[in-house]
Amino acid sequence: MKFLIAVGSKEFSEPTLRVGLQVAKAFKAAVTIAYVGPKVSEFSSSQVRFTQERMEEWEFDRPGVEVLEWAFNFLAENNYITPTMVETGFPKNTLVQTSGSRSEVYLQGTVCENVNLILRNGDIIAELRDEVQRGGYDVTIIGGSQKRRMAHDLVQYIDSSIFIVNKYDKNKSYNLLLPVDDSMRSPKAVKFGARVAQAFDIKVNLITVSKTDTFGEGYTQASKRATKLMRRAGINHEHRFETGDPVTVIKKAAGNDHIIVMGASTKNPLFKFFTGSKPIKIMEDCQCPVLIVK
Amino acid sequence: MVGIIMVNLPTPVGLSVAGYRTLIIVVMAIILIIFEPVPLPAVAMMMLILQVLMGIDTSNGVAQSFMSDAVFFIMGSLMLAVAIVSQGLDSRLALGIIKLTGNKTWKIIIGFIAISAFLSSFIGEHTVTAMMMPVGLTLVKNSGVDKRDTSKLAALLLFSIAYGSAMGSIGTPSGGGRNVIMLGYMKEFGVGNISYLQWMKYAYPMLLLEIPLAAIILWFTFKPKQLILDSAVRKLKVHVTKSGTLKGNQILTIIIFVFVFLGWVFFSAKVGLGIIALIGVFLYLAFGLIRWEDLNRNTNWGVIILFGAAVSIGLHMKDTGAALWVAETTIDWMKMISEDVSILRWIVAVVLTGLLTNLLSNAATVAVIGPIVLNMGGDPLEMGFSTAIASAFAYLTVVASPTCMIIHSSGLVQQSDYLRAGWKMFIMSVSVLYIVSNFW
Repeated sequence: MKFLIAVGSKEFSEPTLRVGLQVAKAFKAAVTIAYVGPKVSEFSSSQVRFTQERMEEWEFDRPGVEVLEWAFNFLAENNYITPTMVETGFPKNTLVQTSGSRSEVYLQGTVCENVNLILRNGDIIAELRDEVQRGGYDVTIIGGSQKRRMAHDLVQYIDSSIFIVNKYDKNKSYNLLLPVDDSMRSPKAVKFGARVAQAFDIKVNLITVSKTDTFGEGYTQASKRATKLMRRAGINHEHRFETGDPVTVIKKAAGNDHIIVMGASTKNPLFKFFTGSKPIKIMEDCQCPVLIVK
Repeated sequence: MVGIIMVNLPTPVGLSVAGYRTLIIVVMAIILIIFEPVPLPAVAMMMLILQVLMGIDTSNGVAQSFMSDAVFFIMGSLMLAVAIVSQGLDSRLALGIIKLTGNKTWKIIIGFIAISAFLSSFIGEHTVTAMMMPVGLTLVKNSGVDKRDTSKLAALLLFSIAYGSAMGSIGTPSGGGRNVIMLGYMKEFGVGNISYLQWMKYAYPMLLLEIPLAAIILWFTFKPKQLILDSAVRKLKVHVTKSGTLKGNQILTIIIFVFVFLGWVFFSAKVGLGIIALIGVFLYLAFGLIRWEDLNRNTNWGVIILFGAAVSIGLHMKDTGAALWVAETTIDWMKMISEDVSILRWIVAVVLTGLLTNLLSNAATVAVIGPIVLNMGGDPLEMGFSTAIASAFAYLTVVASPTCMIIHSSGLVQQSDYLRAGWKMFIMSVSVLYIVSNFW
């Protein structure tokens, strides 16, 4: 598997990187850490690039290199890269420009497969989408954003599962909330959730929400299958049926001490654009990390 | 979508069909340039293609209007910038600034603004910003460890460079491609031929007035904790002295540029500013001071194509009567506010140009607005000149000009900083321009 972790700054991205690497470790995935710098207007792209080349002669790094260096140090401190790499330090000189606004440096991983660091400039959604298409990533991990539209754009335009590490506190103990229903992507979300629960060694709260007082055959079968999988994997879990508006019920059940894992909506993108979807609404409203499995 | 809607609307009264179609292309281009949903060269191509497909002109006619001395100048000046900056003259510049200003922060700020303004009036704003940036950042880096402590100093120094360069670009015709575009329009509209020195005579007093005012505005907007940069200046000196004495290639670079400058002053009326800029580029290449590969890689060809297309559409706005119609309609609207439109006309032209330049690009703004303001009545020389100068008021946004984008790319100034200082700079510049245009 391949994971893409998007970091924004040294100050705010530590939880995203920590959680992302922990999940990647559980999946033994190859990891790419990407920093996307601000978009440069086409009117100024040559001049900005040229000035940055001059700056390098004055021993100034390109903006964003310091974030990658911080990510390197984080990997080194937490033994995610080989001791040889740690000893030689951040290989700034091997940061190779692979295309217009994309530069890359390769590192040798220990617990995960290869770890790459990427520097890009541009619109964050467009750059991540391009990176996911280019690298065929399975999961994109990113920190929470103040921009309300961000969750929608991530789910809509990025062709991988999305993990938004929203308000994660490493000192808090989390449980995993796994909404189960008869939707197409629910079984994959359950399997994914089980792996995440194993990675964090946490309890799984399975929840099946119906808008009416009755639970259809599809719902009961899906919840039975999920419970069985958890039991077989030896994961501490419990299951409950709830009635009401799914978004409200899930939001209330999650509080701020759960990691939510759920399947993405299979609605038509145009329909989703105007009406939204359950996963997008949950991503926007919940005060905890949310993983949407595609 | 906007284009399709406009095509299906009836042609406005008093405007020819070709004129209306030209305006449709202008509106579409402005929207596409601001939001950048497609690459800029694609916008340029769209403008050229539609002019032919919509029957505004023949393909040969469009091709002829696409290439002009102004486009040669923009191409030449972008290449000259690459050639000059590549020689490492920034170290010499740093040494010169320090000798002039000493180590007091306020003196350094005045020095940064004045030197950026002076140099950019001859060699273009982004060239100067590219050379001054490392100097400014070296001072910031050596003046404190904590980013919070140096954030105001960083903003102060970087905006001194960017705004100083922007202000300076009005000083001579070679300060920016937009000046040359306006000179081309003035010639085309029969307003007259303005020589290099005449332009300087009109514009330099404004530039000299603006320097201290800009220093005051920036100082009080980003007042730093560090009032003396003793250690930072010493470290900069150490860094610069490592580069040794002036090298042969640097001397030759300066000599060629002096020749180019003299060519602009004495021969531009005869052969054009663009051709002289290209002679400079030719000499840099012929003397092996820059490789073609480097020029090619660092020249923004997309922008050159776009400016060519913008000039082409500007000329067709004149030929089809679209510019005259927009100008007359604007004057009619103004008359609803006041019968005497002499001041209002000037204010609308200057403020509109200043605002558009912050959203589009200064050269594209002049290319589109130029033909309109020259048709708005009043003294066309004053109107054209004021418009060209107002297009340098690129203070409000990151995308306003390459200089703003360059300092933003350092990661040390925020988008909000542009508005914090920019609106004061904008009002100051409009006021100074008003005073100068009325009393000079």
